[in-house]
Amino acid sequence: MENVLLKAENLRAYYKLEKVSVKAVDGLSFEIYEDEVVGVVGESGCGKTTLSNVIFMNMVKPLTLVGGKIFLKVNGSFEEISALSRDEVKEKFWGKEMTIIPQSAMNALMPTIKMERYVQHLAESHGLDARELIDKTLQRFKEVGLETSWLKRYPFELSGGMRQRAVIAVSTILNPSLLVADEPTSALDVVNQKVFLKVLMSLKRRGIVKSIILITHDIATVRQIADRMIIMYAGKIVELSPIDELLEKPLHPYTEGLLNSVLTPEPEVKKRGIVTIPGAPPNLIDPPSGCRFHPRCPHMMDVCKEKEPPLVEIEPGRRVACFLYAGERT
Amino acid sequence: MASRSAVKYILRRLIFLFITYVVATTIVFILPRAIPGNPLSQILSNLSRVAQSNPEAIRAAEKNLMEEFGLGKPWYLQYVEFIGKALKGDLGTSITYYPRKVMDLIVPVIPWTLVLILPATIVAWILGNSLGALAAYRRNTWIDKGVLTGSLVVSQIPYYWLGMIFIFFFGVKLGWLPVQGAYSQGTIPDLSWAFFMDALKHYILPFLSIVVSAMGGWAIGMRLMVIYELGSDYANFSEYIGMKDKRIFRYVFRNSLLPQVTGLALSLGSVLGGALITEIVFNYPGTGYLLFKALTTLDYPLIQGVFVILIASVYLANFIVDFVYALIDPRIRIGQEE
Repeated sequence: MENVLLKAENLRAYYKLEKVSVKAVDGLSFEIYEDEVVGVVGESGCGKTTLSNVIFMNMVKPLTLVGGKIFLKVNGSFEEISALSRDEVKEKFWGKEMTIIPQSAMNALMPTIKMERYVQHLAESHGLDARELIDKTLQRFKEVGLETSWLKRYPFELSGGMRQRAVIAVSTILNPSLLVADEPTSALDVVNQKVFLKVLMSLKRRGIVKSIILITHDIATVRQIADRMIIMYAGKIVELSPIDELLEKPLHPYTEGLLNSVLTPEPEVKKRGIVTIPGAPPNLIDPPSGCRFHPRCPHMMDVCKEKEPPLVEIEPGRRVACFLYAGERT
Repeated sequence: MASRSAVKYILRRLIFLFITYVVATTIVFILPRAIPGNPLSQILSNLSRVAQSNPEAIRAAEKNLMEEFGLGKPWYLQYVEFIGKALKGDLGTSITYYPRKVMDLIVPVIPWTLVLILPATIVAWILGNSLGALAAYRRNTWIDKGVLTGSLVVSQIPYYWLGMIFIFFFGVKLGWLPVQGAYSQGTIPDLSWAFFMDALKHYILPFLSIVVSAMGGWAIGMRLMVIYELGSDYANFSEYIGMKDKRIFRYVFRNSLLPQVTGLALSLGSVLGGALITEIVFNYPGTGYLLFKALTTLDYPLIQGVFVILIASVYLANFIVDFVYALIDPRIRIGQEE
């Protein structure tokens, strides 16, 4: 527990509609350690973005925290942020302890004022000296590979990749310990993706941010920088594992399916080509009984339809929720 | 480079404006002539009352008048003559108010219209946008529901009905304010304090009725814009990095207001003719009332005259909007330079 930065216990967050609930995050438990990059991977609609909202306690109706706890380490002690209201978490931690690079980072900066003024306003909001914060931003601009004179420009004068780096510079300006990047690379070309990942890693190396959660559906990107991976399916974690072991030997059939659906440079993958997972993710209003993946699973057994497999540790640091490994449990 | 492309842009706009202006004035020239009826009938019936016994004299008078207004000539010759005179600033002679010049009829009523509708439009814009933004910011509270329902109702009420309700309630029932005209009948407009107060009293009802009826539309539009902008990426991101709510709302307000400015400029352009119904309902001596008179008596030269000025003011507003927008929105200003 000593080097844990964020801890989630049995998190459940539903979109509560009038008659039904969309169970987008349903019983997640995990922890993020200090100084690591965790990739959260899954198909569209599996609850990844909801998870990022939950981590920030960004509960905007109809999203409601139904159960579970989140702890964030702040100045060496744990704060139970799930016990606070959205406004309290926002006031105390957003921008200071935790920050985000949003899904559409290209449009994330206020479009009709110059970036320098935006930073001034940010300083005002946090009660900081504007001059100092601007100097800091200039420094950060250099670090992410932007020219400092661009701070005096409007966001739309920069290209998409540059704008995204400007967003990184601004969002990490107060040295938050946790950075959540939500689908940050999906709108970028391959070259800019590479630059972006480099910038992320250099922020971590310099200790500007401690840990990064990278939410994406793109395994090819996340494998380049992640230390561990969380594989999500239909609002649940199906596998949690260090990256190398996961790539070498995926345990959950869904993880295997995901990996097989990506082209990677390994020769056997080239030979095999792309294999897709048949079917589509389930409707989260009324998810399948038992294991939520069973209707699409090639190894489906009778027990999968009736009982829900628990997420259990079967190797040090490797957890999987699948009855295939029930026998290996001690 | 930048200035050259700007000049090119302005030139292109001007040429386009000129062409559309010619087309519009042509339509305005042709349409009244397509309405069945004889514009001279009113003058002639007045004449016949005077010279009842002499039909010969009336026929002679009709011939004279036809010649004077050029109505006997083929329409294209009339058109050429109209354009030629208009370019020299002569819009011809009114038929209804014969022998007064069209220019002399229009120019004195323009200030009345401007004084009434310009402030009313601007006040409605300011109030409507403020209310709409407030409703969006307090979404789903009773304020929002009140503003939205009120705006929907008010903006859907036919204006003439709203005007008459105002007259009935404040003018007739309560007797607080005069029910018609721009000043008391029998007074002669001058610069005295007494006349000013008299005009002000007459001013309140038409002014309020315009503000109330126009406000709803602005409020509905602004509310939607603000709700949309509140959910935009920059608003969300600003929140995530700890920007104060007040500041985010100012961003949102600013960006939502940009399209509303265009709307305002356009409605200011149509000010000269836009209050036709107001001026009819309140019997207010403005350009709208004059146009109404001209239309009901088929006064070709007067109709043409009013429209020539009206269309010009709409086009001018359109032209200015482009530049105003470039001034207030850096995305357009700088985007065009590059």
